Amino acid sequence: MTAVNMLDTADVLAGVGAGTDALEVRDVSKSFGGLKAVQNFRLSLPPRGLYGLIGPNGAGKTTCFNLLTGVYKPDQGDVTIGGESLLGLRPSQIAAAGLARTFQNIRLFGELSVLENVKLACHLRTTHSMAGAICRSSWQRAEEAAIRERALALLQVFNLLDRQDESARNLPYGDQRRLEIARALATGPKVLLLDEPAAGMNPQEKVDLRKLIREVRDVFRVSILLIEHDMGVVMDLCERITVLDYGMVIAEGPPEEIQKNPKVIEAYLGKE
Amino acid sequence: MASLQDRAKLFPSSPLGAAWRLCWPILVALGLGVLMQLVVRPSIDAYSSTQILNIGIAIILAVSLTIVNGFTGQFSIGHAGFLAVGGYVAGSVAFYGSFAIFGSGSAKLGLLSGSGLYSAPAGAPLITSGELLFFGALLTGGLVAALLGYAVGLPSLRLRGDYLAIVTLGFGEIVRVLIQQTPQVLMTREAIAESPAWKVPLSVGGSLGFGNVPKYTSLFWVYAAVVITLIFAYRLKQSSTGRALLSIREDEIAAEAMGVRTTYYKVWGFAIAAFFAGIAGGLYAHTLGISLSPVDAGFQKSFDIIIMVVLGGLGSISGAAIAAAIVTYLPELLRSPETLEKFAVIGVPLLVVGFAMLGMASRNVSEGERRAGVDRRALPRFILGLGTIILGLSVLAFFARKFKINLGDYRLIIYALALIIMMITRPQGLLGVREVWDSALYRPVRDFFAPRHGRRAS
Repeated sequence: MTAVNMLDTADVLAGVGAGTDALEVRDVSKSFGGLKAVQNFRLSLPPRGLYGLIGPNGAGKTTCFNLLTGVYKPDQGDVTIGGESLLGLRPSQIAAAGLARTFQNIRLFGELSVLENVKLACHLRTTHSMAGAICRSSWQRAEEAAIRERALALLQVFNLLDRQDESARNLPYGDQRRLEIARALATGPKVLLLDEPAAGMNPQEKVDLRKLIREVRDVFRVSILLIEHDMGVVMDLCERITVLDYGMVIAEGPPEEIQKNPKVIEAYLGKE
Repeated sequence: MASLQDRAKLFPSSPLGAAWRLCWPILVALGLGVLMQLVVRPSIDAYSSTQILNIGIAIILAVSLTIVNGFTGQFSIGHAGFLAVGGYVAGSVAFYGSFAIFGSGSAKLGLLSGSGLYSAPAGAPLITSGELLFFGALLTGGLVAALLGYAVGLPSLRLRGDYLAIVTLGFGEIVRVLIQQTPQVLMTREAIAESPAWKVPLSVGGSLGFGNVPKYTSLFWVYAAVVITLIFAYRLKQSSTGRALLSIREDEIAAEAMGVRTTYYKVWGFAIAAFFAGIAGGLYAHTLGISLSPVDAGFQKSFDIIIMVVLGGLGSISGAAIAAAIVTYLPELLRSPETLEKFAVIGVPLLVVGFAMLGMASRNVSEGERRAGVDRRALPRFILGLGTIILGLSVLAFFARKFKINLGDYRLIIYALALIIMMITRPQGLLGVREVWDSALYRPVRDFFAPRHGRRAS
């Protein structure tokens, strides 16, 4: 029996996601030289919304994520969370503002243990100083204990508790994907961006993942925007879907509409 | 809605505990220092004493570089620049400070200072005013080095990989050349009085070297500093800040996306490393028989430190410390076949058993691997490795004696070969990122001391 089982996990994790603020993206554009990677990208993600972003390969989906999280600076347009603009902020500041992400090509801290990966993401919400860490002040110890407690609770939710001491790089693929989500949640986000969470998963794992993503939304009260190629996952999960092609939004609406939209069918299958 | 801080407030805290955690490292440092100086030193010869002192300084240097190259994964190859800055600043403060305060440039030794034949007479006080000046000089050297580290780091740490390496290399060379241009040392009070005041502290000998620094450094000062450095680095690594530093090494983009201010932490890591390198430089400058020279800022010196860090395992504090000891002592060991033999038979088994299965230490053995028998294979492999080292050293000593080869002449080659073999067979270094005490061997002990959670606190 681990310490966490005896704790009230929900209590520990209360406040990890704030869940009251919405993500607004207004006419964001980005060019690389002559290539217009993204043009007039618009999105309005309500609190606790679960939206999807799809499009053929090279449509600019991941570029959109990179624009939202500050990896690239938009040429024009505005990104706000709860009315607060994220323009011009560094990625770390955007994470602090409540936007967390996972990566298409998994970017875990490979040599660190599973537990340390999640603990690191709690760093953002700590208040003790470096001097406090060196002197091992009371407050630093208390925060470290709270970090550990929160990290263990997150690992329990994601069923990774047994593997907490293993190096992240030694995890099976599906576990690595789930650890990335756990790590992103540890930053205490309002909005969670998932970049192809189902990539490389087997059918059973995909079924589990759908359930997990819904749970994440409900338990942590975050809004979720996900990029996904697996239409089964997207159509089942998402309330609304935005479709990108050649960097432009070609359709936006609930899954049933998107499935019938001729422009979307054309983008995916080509014209007759 | 509960934030992390709200949860943190629920954990008990005691002011007494906090004071204890602040004080015990200092007490341990003083304790080990006194032990080394007043108990160990009188019972060994001057040569061994010098070796142990050099090893201590090397440990501080290697552990400080571990913070940059090991934790944050930034490849700095100008670390000796900070060593030289710390050494020259501390030396200048102590030397000219002595003139200003005591009227002469020689050391005022207490029982805790001095090494070799240059020691305090019996009945001298434990600490003299001269040693307080020395302590202040050390701190000044460290702080100036840290400031310089901050100043160099701020613009250059936006660079990555090779580019940063080139900048740090350039920094080391600039320091070296600047020191070469400094005026001659002012040896007498009259000379100091005649020189313009601003020029006095800069008169550190240029390419002729700065050998007149009062010789305060002793096993006490070195090993007290070693303890503080080790505990500082360990506490840094095992904290939220430390995880932030390590995450930069693992994946800078992911670290930034998880809210780590990467530039901030890189610059701070750089400054902290420079501080300890400066302290090591100060200790080095005040060592008997050492004449500081611009070469100490050079690439060769930086490279020695890098070898220690890489050999020990990038990111491992204990690994860097062990490697520092080996790299410092190995060339000495190869001077004669007799010491080599003695070391092979007594030293190697003691050392290796002491560190308990270095091969296993760097691996965090999972439950699955344990079941698959990784643990069972580790012991035979360990004994085989131990045997190979002893056999190898014995054969070396045998041939050296038979053909009357002076191993000392070839020691750098042997030393380089050992490094090459090491890098081919164990590129992650002795310990990888782990520490000696992370070994699976110690798991029962760790579990015994951490009964609250039943698991290792990491």
